[in-house]
Amino acid sequence: MSSDARAERHGSAAWTVVGAQEVRDLWLGGSALLLALAFSLLLSIMSYLAATNTELNFLEQRESVSLLAQVSIGAGSLLALLAAADSFSGERERGTLESLLLTPASRLQLTVGKLLGALSLWVAAFAISIPYILFLGRGVGVAGDALAVGFLLGSLLAIFLASLGQIISIFAASNRVSLTLSLFLLLALFAPTQLPASAEQGWAGELLFRLNPVTAAERYVGRVIMQGEAGSQDAAWLVSPIVAAAVFAVVALFVGARFLRLRAGG
Amino acid sequence: MTEAVRQHAVDAARDSGSAQAATYSVEAQGLCKRYGSVTALEDLSFTAEPGEILGVLGPNGAGKTTAIRILTAILAPTEGTFTVAGVPHTRPAEIRRRVGVLPESAGHPNRQTAEEYLRYHARLYGHSRASARAVAQRLLDEVGLADRSRSLIATYSRGMRQRLGLARALVNDPEVVFLDEPTLGLDPAGQRQVLGLVRRTAGERGSTVLLSTHLLDEVEQVCSRVLILHRGRVVSAGTVAEVARQAAGPRRARLRVAPDLVSRGVDALAATTSIEDVRALDGQPGALVATFRAGPDEDTMSAGLRAVLDAGVPVLAFEVEGARLSDAFLAMTEGR
Repeated sequence: MSSDARAERHGSAAWTVVGAQEVRDLWLGGSALLLALAFSLLLSIMSYLAATNTELNFLEQRESVSLLAQVSIGAGSLLALLAAADSFSGERERGTLESLLLTPASRLQLTVGKLLGALSLWVAAFAISIPYILFLGRGVGVAGDALAVGFLLGSLLAIFLASLGQIISIFAASNRVSLTLSLFLLLALFAPTQLPASAEQGWAGELLFRLNPVTAAERYVGRVIMQGEAGSQDAAWLVSPIVAAAVFAVVALFVGARFLRLRAGG
Repeated sequence: MTEAVRQHAVDAARDSGSAQAATYSVEAQGLCKRYGSVTALEDLSFTAEPGEILGVLGPNGAGKTTAIRILTAILAPTEGTFTVAGVPHTRPAEIRRRVGVLPESAGHPNRQTAEEYLRYHARLYGHSRASARAVAQRLLDEVGLADRSRSLIATYSRGMRQRLGLARALVNDPEVVFLDEPTLGLDPAGQRQVLGLVRRTAGERGSTVLLSTHLLDEVEQVCSRVLILHRGRVVSAGTVAEVARQAAGPRRARLRVAPDLVSRGVDALAATTSIEDVRALDGQPGALVATFRAGPDEDTMSAGLRAVLDAGVPVLAFEVEGARLSDAFLAMTEGR
């Protein structure tokens, strides 16, 4: 073995190398910029509609901020899901997974790095939404709460959804299968947010809303921003997003470490 | 795998290097891989010495890729043991650190440049940023891609991608290099470039190379020894010449004599007891084909040649069919 190959063994941990490369691939050559552009376009339209409706008194200002925070949480975590759903099935489809598995980086490190790369889309989405929330929340002292709650809940949902997408990607033979299944599950999780408030009536309805991390996050954001309640007052709504993020992240890492492998033909 | 073939495969390197310590770059013992009722690999045993280029031959589905995936520790064998670069199979991460692999039909990230791609892999092997950059530049220079190092891989030809894949396989300066069909789909110039790199990898770096292919010409060009796999089993092992001899060839020899002496040559050969049949080839002036009663050996070949020469017919060319690797390969893999 030559000197330059063996002498340097103090490089970064493999998961940081994989994570950094994933971010570079997503943002410099991949779809992240396009998705971020679409996201900012969506927020611009939403902000315009919310602002004009507020002017016409159809929407309260707090309601506008809450709506925008919820959209940015939902769409931002969707971006993380899309990136994660592509993480390993994409490598498998492009024929590059075998080369990655042949490196000394453990499968756990590969999984951590890819997950962090996918979460970079949520971080960018949140950064994009900051000026919109500040603009809509000006004068009512709600922007700070909206940003704090938005970042917390968005991060939890992004971790949950990215982990879910990555688990599917680890097993999926193709990108199409991975993305389709991930989006289907996402729609199933988001569907209850479109139900009328009456659906939440009764213990069964409330339990379902509290168990679903997406609906629980939406309710929590709404209560804190619109009703001006203290964050700790409705902390029970945080249980589901926190548990979902923690459990799915651990499961994704476990599945990656144990089940990430080549399938027949690659 | 017959006991004789297996023993030969395991002992070949050991016998040839009796004076040196028995340290092998690769040593496999009874490797098997089964997927349910399907056996992909059965009782694979062989050794490879440092600096050797070992050809692993076989038709599609013979088990070559499975064998490579097991030996590079990304697939666990159902049975058997192996060591690679002195590291036992129970330490897969350490094996991966010491081997380089060009997988069959390896893909490349089209949106990266060749330099970025190699830097990334070098860093996964523990190189610092600066060291990874130096390794990438050195390898790109070695495989002749230095002038295209900043181009996107998407713009590379298939031959350039294969050379880049080979560079990636060498990024950790491996002790053992596994190349799975490295010249597949390349034009003759591309094949020559890749085979030149394979020779240099073994010759200048001293790495052991396991070259999996079903292209026999390239094995004859670069390999010192070969294994022939068929349906997951080793059907022959040894040097190219040994394997060619092991084949039960068609027992025929071709001769070329002066066209006006063909009939005299046919008569002389027909009178030889070891020859069953002899005939002149239509449309090929001066060409004769003699079929021996048994596999031609030195005595029967000499007797046949002597008979022709004694009849006053100069022999312009003589070739025993079945003495080439391709004949052995076909004999061992067709109709079995």
